[in-house]
This record gives sequence, structure tokens and C-alpha cells, in this order.
Amino acid sequence: MSCHVVREHAAAGPSVLTLRARPLRVALVGQPNVGKSVVFGRLTGRYVTVSNYPGTTVAITKGRALVGAEVCDIIDTPGVNALEGSVSEDERITRDVLTSGGADLVVQVADARNLRRALMLTAQIAAFGKPVVLALNMIDEAFARGISIDSRVLSSALGIPVVETVAVDGQGFAELREALAHGAVPDAPAERSPLERAAWANDLTQRVRRTSTLSLSRIPEMLARATRRPLTGLPILAVVLYALYLFVGVFGAQTLVKLFEDGLFGKGINPAAIWLADRFIPVAFVRDFLVGEYGLITMGLTYAIAIVLPVVATFFLMFGFLEDSGYIPRLAIFCDRIFRVMGLNGKAVLPMVLGLGCDTMATMTTRILGTPKERLIAILLLALGIPCSAQLATILGILGGVSLAALLTLFAVVLGQMFVVGWLAARVLKGERSEFIMELPPIRWPRFGNLLTKTRLRVWWYLGEAVPLFLAGTVLLFVLDRVGALVWISRAGQPIVTGLLGLPAATAQILVMGFLRRDYGAAGLFQLAHNGQLTGVQAVVALTVMTLFVPCVANFLIMVRERGLRVGLAIVGVITPVAIFTGASLNYVLHALDVHF
Amino acid sequence: MSCTLLTFTSKTVPLSSMAVGEHGLVDSVSAPEHARVERLLALGITAGAIVTMLQTFPGVVFFCDQTELAVERAVADAILVRPMEDLR
Repeated sequence: MSCHVVREHAAAGPSVLTLRARPLRVALVGQPNVGKSVVFGRLTGRYVTVSNYPGTTVAITKGRALVGAEVCDIIDTPGVNALEGSVSEDERITRDVLTSGGADLVVQVADARNLRRALMLTAQIAAFGKPVVLALNMIDEAFARGISIDSRVLSSALGIPVVETVAVDGQGFAELREALAHGAVPDAPAERSPLERAAWANDLTQRVRRTSTLSLSRIPEMLARATRRPLTGLPILAVVLYALYLFVGVFGAQTLVKLFEDGLFGKGINPAAIWLADRFIPVAFVRDFLVGEYGLITMGLTYAIAIVLPVVATFFLMFGFLEDSGYIPRLAIFCDRIFRVMGLNGKAVLPMVLGLGCDTMATMTTRILGTPKERLIAILLLALGIPCSAQLATILGILGGVSLAALLTLFAVVLGQMFVVGWLAARVLKGERSEFIMELPPIRWPRFGNLLTKTRLRVWWYLGEAVPLFLAGTVLLFVLDRVGALVWISRAGQPIVTGLLGLPAATAQILVMGFLRRDYGAAGLFQLAHNGQLTGVQAVVALTVMTLFVPCVANFLIMVRERGLRVGLAIVGVITPVAIFTGASLNYVLHALDVHF
Repeated sequence: MSCTLLTFTSKTVPLSSMAVGEHGLVDSVSAPEHARVERLLALGITAGAIVTMLQTFPGVVFFCDQTELAVERAVADAILVRPMEDLR
């Protein structure tokens, strides 16, 4: 495989690289899921999350790169199918990079398998009048499918450098760096109508592309077929969920947590810390602050490291595997009809499943949805019913120890509640649903390296974000306890907590702490359950309320950022009564039916 | 597979009526609103594109330009194709 850079062209026009006061700004633009973020990582040495589905990047990332002797600012942009007409929110972000003078040069990253579509986008990029370099990425996959492209002919037809790359291997990057100096405005029919441009892309594609008979018998293709057909797809989904339960719920939440909580903290760190505190800290107040009932070490660190971390880590690993395999978008086919009732379409499965990782990030991913109404409903449902990884962790940890029936009850109630609220929201809110039109990424074997990097970064992110909040929450609890406010909260919440929900009074403070971080509250429940203070029914009710309850502070802030304070408060205003009402009903029904888990 | 060897019928049918495994040449996209044409065009579904039906239930899934696309039935109804002639 050779790479072609048209150098004749560079000689004809002035070179783009000159001395300048600020770094050259290079925007990476292209269709979704063509590997822009991998190219970004290769050029800058910075890692941004890479997955195998459209919409992983929904905001701009910038990074420095040294190309030749010149410093460049590389801008990674959300994938775009179109730059004109009615575009979704993530596409608008990319368009703004091109219009507002944010980029001096564009590297169009294209999926080599789909040249025709790439060229249609090239024509739209040409309209912005910026010099362009075309990178035909995933050339190896195109090759494997019997597609070969004559880059030399393509390059002279467009009048811009065309480089064949395999970003995950770094193949073609020396050529790409070199080509940056020779970017030119593409010779493409930018001003003509979309249909004429499509015809032009068609013609040019047929001139430069050769397709041999393709074999569709590879294992990934078989899996691709099996995962989208109901007869095989639904059993596969069941197997995937069961594997998730075994790996995260049993191995992570039980085996590893036991090892960490009883072993590392229970027999190692906590006794040692208490011993040290007793010996060296004469002030009882400080001692309690560190190792007391609400102590920084005995409660804050124990919660964060021993209870939540093992589950979060196992979840991120499994989740990354599913992300990179390209499996998740295929679920959209099965969900489309159900989501339609809730005013969404199948595409919403992406933010929903991503919410299991982190609701805050998933709230940003709703940008890929077509209309404001869909975004609002998705954000509401994320805040209402989707437990984040850490919360899922504690759910699995507590109910995994109770019974599978308890776990299924919780999920059935939460999903049912989301369905009802979604159905109502679809009717109450004004606006349209967009049609379900979605590209399914190919099934691939995940790259082990990317999987590890991604998991490591997410675990670091968890440690950086959650642990300080866990500690802050512990300090707050300690203070509330000292000033006697905890007793007051428990008493004030009593009518609801012990009356309506039938829970121990101590749960009130846990529900309050749940707002700081949902998983923090859930970890509190975990301890209660661990100490045998919760019955099976109580555990199910408490976790259901906690799952439906207001989202954590971070999620609330991101909702406000994405949709405004009014909407953020309105969502909390809807969710809180729904959560309590559902919990109360569940408590009533379970007792009426005399259910014991 | 070279396109010149394929022949397509002159009569158009909705994509949704094609059988699994059948090939077709996109003739036009009918749409009451412009947004649908625009979105399909951006994904390469426009006159002259060759599509292969992969699945019709629960959603319509078809293949075009090495890409699997899933659409709801209403959209598949609006894509008019000329099915490939059976030469046998």
C-alpha cells in the first residue's frame, strides 16, 4: 500500500506554512466514527476517548502538535454528516469551528470504505474556502473488503493532498504530517445543489475506486448480522446482560468489594488508622473527624475505595469492551418502537446506555439527538432512572446479596417508571420527534490497548471526581452530626422515610447525601444492608427511591449548563415526587402481597 | 462487482417492500418535509445509490456503500428504489 501526496500542486501555489504569530490551527473534520479522535491522538500524543460508535466526541478538544518545525494546534471536532441545512447540535459545533475563523487548515478524515459520502462532505467543506488535506483512514479495512482507491487520481482531481492512513497503527502519518504544508481548497462543486454534488461524488468515486467481489463470511460480519436480528439478537442481549451481572455484580461488587472492605480496610487500613489516631492524636474531636463513625478514613475513604472503586473499575472495563465492539448502537433497532412511545427514537439508546457509565457525560451525549424535545426527554429520563456505574455498583452489591428477584423487581419498577414518565413527557412537551435514521458501526474486535487506556483514564477520572466529593460529603455529615442536625433531618424525614417508605430512620440522611453523589448515598445504604439493618423489601424500596431520586450535583450542573436553570429545576421538581411516590407505592404493594426477598 | 453489469427494472417500489437480500437502485426520496431528504442525502442515500436489503423486522436495515443503515418503516416507505432484475 503506498501513500500519495501531490507535490506538484504545492509547487504551483504558495505554501501554507509560513511564519506566524500564533500556531497554525488544524481542524480534524469528518463523518462520525471515521477515527478523527484516533488521528488526533496520533498527531498530538494526547488521548481522547475513542469508541466504535458515532457521537463519542460531542465537544471540541484541542491539542498541540509539532509538525516539521512548526507548532500546530490540532482541533478534534464532533463528527458531521452535513455542514449545511438543519444540523444537530454536535454538528453545529463543528460548523462553528469552520466559520468563526477557528481553523486555518482542515484535515478531512474519511472512512476509506465510504468514499462517496466522504466526497459529498468534501464539497461542503470546500465552501468554507479553507485549505484541505484528505486522509483516507481505515484503508486496511477498505482493502479487506476488496476496495482499492487510486489516491493519485483522486488527489489530482481534487487538487489537494490525499493520504492513505491507518490511524490505529500510525500508518501513513509521516505522509500526513508532510501533506499539511500542501493543503489547498478542494476543486469541488461547493456552490451547486446538494443533488448535483451527490452526482459529482458518485462520478468521481466510480473513477477512482475499484471494488472486487466482497466476502461477507468473516466472523465480525456474522456477529453483526446475529446481533441485529430478533431471533438471535435478543438471546445475545440476555447473555451480554448476564455476563455484565457476573463480572460487575458478582466478581466486582461481591468478591472484590469483600476483599477491599473486609480485608484491606477492615483488617488493614482502618484498624491501623484507629490505632495511630488513638496513640498520637490527643483531641477526641480530631480523632472522630478522622476515624470516627463519620470519619474521613473510616467512612469517606472506605466508601470511595473499598465499596465503589472495584465495581466502577470492573464496569468500565466491560463497558469499554462493549463500546469498542460496536455492539451498543445495534440495540437501537430493538429499542426504536419502545422509545417512540416516549417521544424519542432508537438513537436515544446511546445516551441511555452511556448513562450507565456516567449520567453527566451521557447528558452531554444527548447532543446527537435530532430535536430539542428529544434532548429534553432524554435528559429527564437519564436523571430519573438511569443508575450511573457507581450507583449500579451498589445496587448490584446490595441486591446481588439479597436475591435475583429483588434485583429484577428494582429494574422492572425503574424501567416502568421511566416508560410512564417518558410517555407523559412526550405528550405534555411541545415539539417534534425526529425520524429514526441511524448508521450502525461495524462489529470489531476491541483493541486491548485502547480498552486498557480508556478504563485507566475513567478510573482516574472517578478517583479525581468522586473521592474529593466523598470526602467532602463525609465532612458535611460529620458537621451535621456534631451540630445535631442529623437527628433533626431524620426526624423531619420520618413521616416520609419511615411512614410512607417503611425504611429505618437512618435512611433519611443517606437520601440527603445521595444528592451530593448518588453513589455516595448508595454506599451508605450498602453499609446499612451490610450491617443487617435493612430487610430485603426495605433494600429494594430504598434503592428504587435512590435510583429515581434527584441526580447528583454534577449531573444537575450539567443539566443547567445544557438546558438552563429553569429546566434543571423543573426536572428536579418532577423527579423528586415521582421518586417518593413510586417508592411508597412499591412499599405498599410489596407488603400487601406479603413479598419477602 | 461492477455496476455496469447490473440492470434494474424501470418500475419503482418503496424500499420497505424489498425482500431480504434483494438489491435496488435508489430512484428518489419522497418526503413531505425537507429534513428527511437532507438527512438521507448526508448518509449517501440519494438517486444512484445501490442498496441491499438486510433485515425488515423490527426495523428496516439495509446496506449502502459498505455501511449498515437502520431506519424506521415510515422512512423506508419513502425511499423509492428500482429493484435489480433477476437475470436467471
